[in-house]
Amino acid sequence: MVQPLNMVTVVQCTPIDEAHALRVEELARAAGGEVAWVLELVEAGIIAPAEPALLQTQWRFHGEALLCAVRVRRLQRDMEVGIDAAGLIVALQDEVRRLRRRLG
Amino acid sequence: MEFKDYYSALGVPKTATDDAVRKAYRKLARKYHPDVSQEADAETRMRDVNEAYDVLRDKDKRAAYDALAERVASGARAAPDGRGYAPPPGWDEGFDFQRQGGGPADEADFSEFFSSLFGAAQRRQAQQRQARARGDDQHAAIEIDLVTALRGGERLLSLRALELDAQGHPQFVQRQLQVRIPPGVRPGQLIRLAGQGLPGHGGEPAGDLFLEVRITPDARWRVEGRDITMGLPVTPSEAALGAQVRVPLPNGDEVEVGVPPNSRPGRRLRLKERGFGGREPGHLYLELQIVLPPADSAAARAAYEALAQASTGFDPRRAMRDTEA
Repeated sequence: MVQPLNMVTVVQCTPIDEAHALRVEELARAAGGEVAWVLELVEAGIIAPAEPALLQTQWRFHGEALLCAVRVRRLQRDMEVGIDAAGLIVALQDEVRRLRRRLG
Repeated sequence: MEFKDYYSALGVPKTATDDAVRKAYRKLARKYHPDVSQEADAETRMRDVNEAYDVLRDKDKRAAYDALAERVASGARAAPDGRGYAPPPGWDEGFDFQRQGGGPADEADFSEFFSSLFGAAQRRQAQQRQARARGDDQHAAIEIDLVTALRGGERLLSLRALELDAQGHPQFVQRQLQVRIPPGVRPGQLIRLAGQGLPGHGGEPAGDLFLEVRITPDARWRVEGRDITMGLPVTPSEAALGAQVRVPLPNGDEVEVGVPPNSRPGRRLRLKERGFGGREPGHLYLELQIVLPPADSAAARAAYEALAQASTGFDPRRAMRDTEA
C-alpha cells in the first residue's frame, strides 16, 4: 500500500568533504558500528582520517571512508570474514571497478 | 504485493539449519555478486538473496516468517485492495525484532514485502518500548549526470517511508525530496541530508540520509577520482600541423586549446584544475582522436593523393614486419 503524498520537501544537502567531514562517532553511527570498531579499521589501515597526526578526538573522515566502512561492515556481517580480509576484498572490488571503467 | 518465498530464494528447504542457510547464502553471494557475476540480472538476484538472508539468519524474524507462511498456505488473505498479499494485523505478536547490531539501515534496498513485515514491526516495537533513541541513519544512492555534478542542480528523489496511521497500522508513504545538489560533487562522494533518515523515538531527532553520488555513464567522458577524461576529435591536418581548437567542456564553459604539431592519436592534453574541485582539484584530460575527412570530392581526393606523394617514405606497417624485437 503506497499512499502517494503530493508534497515535495526541498532539502539542502551537504557533501561530506574537507569542509564537512565526519567525526569518529558520526562515522561509527552512520556505518552501524561502534567507535572501537572504527578505530580497528584505522589501525588496520582500511580507512584513514583526513589528518592522522591529530588527536583521535579531532579526527575527521571524508565520505569515502564511510562508504568503505559500510562495505566492510556488511562483509563482516554476511560473510563473517575478519577485518583484514574484508579490507582486502573491498580493495580488490575497487580495483576491478577501476579496471572495468578503463575498459569503458 | 507478492508473498516472497525466502527459502526458495536461498534454495534451501524449510527445515534447513542455520548453518545450511549461511552456507547457501555465501555460495549465492559469490555467484551473484555484481562485481564478479556475468549474469544479466545479478544485481536484482543479489538483492533478493540479501533480503532472504536478512530474515532467515535471524531466529526471531525467521520464526515469525514461518508462522506467517503457514497462515498464508492455509488460505492466503488478500490485501484490502485485492491486489495480493498483506500481512494480517498482529501477525508479529510475541516476536522481538530489535535490529541486530549488524549494520546500517540498508533495508532501504529491500522489497515492499520485507519492509511491510519487518520495518513496521521494528518501528512499532520501538514505540511500544518507549525507548528514547535517535533515528537510524539511512543509505541510498543518487544518480546524476556529469553536467549536474559539475554545475549543481536539483533532482527529485522518491523515497518510500513507513508511517503509522491513527490506528497504529503501518502504511507506506511516498516521500518526495527535491534535493539541491551543490556544484562540484564527484562520483563516490557522499552527500548528507540532515534529519531525512528514519524518525527518532521518544522525542529524539531523526537520523540522516546519506546519498552516494553516482554519475550516469556517458560515452563522451570517463571519470576517475577527481579527473575527467574526454575525447577530442581533430582532423589529420590539425594533428599534424598543430591548431587552436575550441572545445566545449562538460561544465558548459568553452575553452580554446592548442593542439601541438605532430600529435598522434591518443595524445593526452591536460587542462589544469578543470576536473572536479576540492583542496586538490582534479584535471581535465583531452585524448586526441583523429577523424578523417571523407574523400568524397575531387578536391579532397587530390589532397589525399598529394599527401601520399609527399610521404612515400612513410610506412605505417613497419612495426608489423619488425620480427627482430
